[in-house]
Amino acid sequence: MNVRKNSYFMKEVNMEELIKFKNVKKTYNVGEKKFNALDGVDFSIGKGEFVVILGPSGAGKSTLLNLLGGMDKVTSGEIVVEENVISDFNDTQLTDYRAENVGFIFQFYNILPTLTVYENVSIVKDIVKKPKNAKTILKEVGLEKHMNKFPNQLSGGEQQRVSIARAIAKDPLLLLCDEPTGALDSKTGVEVLKLLKKQCDANNGENTVVIVTHNALIAEVADRVIRLKNGKVESNEKNKHPKNIDEVKW
Amino acid sequence: MLRKKMLRDIKQNLSQFITIFLMLFIGVMAYSGIESYMDGMQQSADSYYEKNNLQDLNVMGANFTEEDLDTIKSIEHVKDAERKLSLTATDAKNNDITYLLNFIESNNISKFYVFEGEKFDVNKSGVWLDSFYAKEKNVKVDDTIKIKYDNFVLEEKVVGLVNIPDHVYDVKDASELYPSHDTFGIVYLSINEFPESYIKENAMKQMGIDNEELFDKYVKDFDYKEHLVFNYVMVDVDKKKNNDSVKNAIEDQVENAKAIIKIEDSSSYSTYQGEIDEGKAYVGIFSGLFIIIALLSVVTTMTRVVKKQRMQIGTLKALGFKNRKILLHYISYGFYISLIASMCGLLAGRFLMGNFFINLEMTFFEMPNGVAILNGQNYICALLVIVLVSIVTMLTCYKELKENPAETLRVKMPKVKKNSLNLTTKGIFKNLSFSSKWNLRDIVRNKARTLTGLVGIVGCCMLIVCAFGMLNSLNRFIEMQFDELFNFDYKLTLKENITKEELKEIESVYGNASSKSLGIEIKNKGTRESNNAFITDAKDYVRFEDDKNNYIKLDNDEGIYVTYKLAETNNYKIGDTIKWHIYGDSKYYESKIVGFNKDPQNQNITLTRKYAEKLGIDYIPDSIYTNKNLKNVKSIKNVELIQNINNLKDGMANMLNTMKSMIVLIIFIACFLGVVIIYNIGILSYSEKQYQFSTIKVLGFKDKQIKKIYIKQNLWISIVAILIGCPLGYYLTDWLFKMALDETYDFSAYIKPLTYVYASVGTFVLSYIVSKILAKKIKNIDMVSSLKGNE
Repeated sequence: MNVRKNSYFMKEVNMEELIKFKNVKKTYNVGEKKFNALDGVDFSIGKGEFVVILGPSGAGKSTLLNLLGGMDKVTSGEIVVEENVISDFNDTQLTDYRAENVGFIFQFYNILPTLTVYENVSIVKDIVKKPKNAKTILKEVGLEKHMNKFPNQLSGGEQQRVSIARAIAKDPLLLLCDEPTGALDSKTGVEVLKLLKKQCDANNGENTVVIVTHNALIAEVADRVIRLKNGKVESNEKNKHPKNIDEVKW
Repeated sequence: MLRKKMLRDIKQNLSQFITIFLMLFIGVMAYSGIESYMDGMQQSADSYYEKNNLQDLNVMGANFTEEDLDTIKSIEHVKDAERKLSLTATDAKNNDITYLLNFIESNNISKFYVFEGEKFDVNKSGVWLDSFYAKEKNVKVDDTIKIKYDNFVLEEKVVGLVNIPDHVYDVKDASELYPSHDTFGIVYLSINEFPESYIKENAMKQMGIDNEELFDKYVKDFDYKEHLVFNYVMVDVDKKKNNDSVKNAIEDQVENAKAIIKIEDSSSYSTYQGEIDEGKAYVGIFSGLFIIIALLSVVTTMTRVVKKQRMQIGTLKALGFKNRKILLHYISYGFYISLIASMCGLLAGRFLMGNFFINLEMTFFEMPNGVAILNGQNYICALLVIVLVSIVTMLTCYKELKENPAETLRVKMPKVKKNSLNLTTKGIFKNLSFSSKWNLRDIVRNKARTLTGLVGIVGCCMLIVCAFGMLNSLNRFIEMQFDELFNFDYKLTLKENITKEELKEIESVYGNASSKSLGIEIKNKGTRESNNAFITDAKDYVRFEDDKNNYIKLDNDEGIYVTYKLAETNNYKIGDTIKWHIYGDSKYYESKIVGFNKDPQNQNITLTRKYAEKLGIDYIPDSIYTNKNLKNVKSIKNVELIQNINNLKDGMANMLNTMKSMIVLIIFIACFLGVVIIYNIGILSYSEKQYQFSTIKVLGFKDKQIKKIYIKQNLWISIVAILIGCPLGYYLTDWLFKMALDETYDFSAYIKPLTYVYASVGTFVLSYIVSKILAKKIKNIDMVSSLKGNE
């Protein structure tokens, strides 16, 4: 059970559905034309699910993730997270929402080049009241030997692990990953996925992980697979028999 | 096509390129502005002196006879010589106005430049008046002025308004720094205008006759012309190199010659020349500061442009563009900007700054036709700036361009040299907050940007210290000279040849605090140097200080006191013996140095009256000091000049006023420099860190927190710059002050603590405000697009 100290998440929650997208639209102005990145998206995600959102380029995957992560605002529709309509949040509320509830993992890691591995993770102390111990997490992700290194002294996989460590140090309700294995070789990608799965299973299985990718293989290990096409949900299926990561032929 | 790309790139990085443009523009403008007015001053002087035949030597004495003049004229290399009687007189209506009264026989040497009226003619009556005084007092040709000398009043019509080559600069009193044209005028008359009755009266006095009829009866063939006195001879020498030999010949052959001064040593010539040298010294510092900042800005901006365009460069290379062509493309950014900036700077320097300064100078110096000019040196400077900027641009881009296309097209992780950042992971740095560590490392990573900011803000702080420091220093100078050393209300300059009885009469009314100044020559290791001896019996009316500004009593009657600077220049020590003689007297004295005293304005030797008398010098003072109220006293018998100390101080007020407008200008430049640089480094640092800010914004950092992190770096740089700028400001002020004053001055910059407070707070607040304004951008960071942009 996640009890958030943030005012918007004060109440104790015990429900199946964690996230709800109700007819969400996101329109961009491209020159003089309008482009619907998301065109009436409806779906729900349950608490503790390992979700993969699949789709080709331009399907609206990243837009969806940005809206869910509170980095962008909807044009219309509603996004509900734990009974809170985050699509109605103002900038301050969204900042608090991101700080307390969301962990981001980017394709190109986005770790701060002038901070050491340890510092990149412990930075969350400045935004979260009760962060996890940075050293413990770095040990969990296998970076205990690299704690005092700077990012450019690490391999891509190691950098992504720093990014994961930073995300989970906040102990977030939601872990949002945008092509987390996109810039990695398959072996490293598998390691990263294992870490994400491990995070999902931790906390009595109440952590929710949403991965946006165009790699269909990842869908095989997911609890739920949402397929997007042209800004619309093509399918939203629960995977009755998710595979173990090691069973997938990458 | 590439040119179009360049224009668009410049548009995209407009503020950085504007900074480069402005710094180059100001740098070149400062250079050509100062140079053009200096060169203008030099050229005007050269042609004026040449055309109007400025003398090479001034020979001074009590009286030069016709024979003396002939002797001088007959000396080898002497082209011509003219006699002159020079006296100090006052205006008959206004005692505060002093005239330097000159009677001449001809005007071929130091020929007048006639603004209005007639040329000099010895047979013409009337006066030729210096045009500055005339302008100040609104005197016109055909007006009449009344001049009082002794008890005689000359009423003369103005026949010409002129400039005189050897009176380009002249002050009423040696203690004035700047000429006060409203109380001091230079007047020339034909020697024929010298009042006959004055000569007759003096002759009668000498003969002990007080009845004119009796005098006429006995001295039937009295020709007053034979009794005219000339105390100056102006000598024109054929070539400069012969000045010394002519000087020596006059010394040997003309007994009446008491002192011979080369024109270069005269105050008119040397002050004007000093002003030119002063500007030449300033020019490097001011233009250099801006050009260095511009070059640093080129490095930071071009590095950023090239790094940002990595993919584009890779694409161009992949398309088949040669490295040389791409390099030339990027060099053209620096080239065109410096070309335009230099051309604008040259023109603005010549026509705005040069004109402004030469007009300002020409209000002090009586020099006709002073015009700013652009000579070859200015074009060379502009060209050098263009070449330098192009080379720096090339060096900056070259490193980025030498990679092969595949490498260039690959995404490059920001470089972090482990070694350079190692220090910041240990010791005291370990416990710093995240934002401090981040900023510290960002500074280490972006050395050129930090250095640009540092130099710019140091310049800003330094200029503010300097602006107020000049004012502090001048005020301190006035305070020391007029409140501490001069402890009298009035100085009475006595008439020459005053008798002991006449002196006693004056002393009985105004007290006996007196002094006497003598022109002397000091023999020092084979060289002979002109100097002054000040014999004091001024009691406490003229005081003396040591080098720590403590009052000292000159009470040793066994030797002389020497000013610190004179001692330092000549390596004199207490106990050393100096050999000297009074001009006009060949007797040498050998005096022991018994002490040092500090004099901000004159470097000379001082003797007590007792010691002077011990040496056998007849002490008849030339000045009396008094605190009596002489406000309503127009004239005193046997006193040539009554000077109120407040009037002397007022003379300084002019300089202070001029300085105040300079100070406003310097502060404006300082703030401008500060704002431009802080804004520039702020924008650079913002755009370089934009993606990092997006990242932490996504992580959940509040805008306020990010703003704090962002502002912190600028404030740090500002604090370091203030710590460097304050002491540098002191040295700059000291240096400028020493340049502005000639070598007879012994005065260092005096800067009040409050000035440092103004400069520090001013610079800090400026930095804070500009950073705060820039930090507003944080609110508008679009997380999605800036993260995408980074990818």
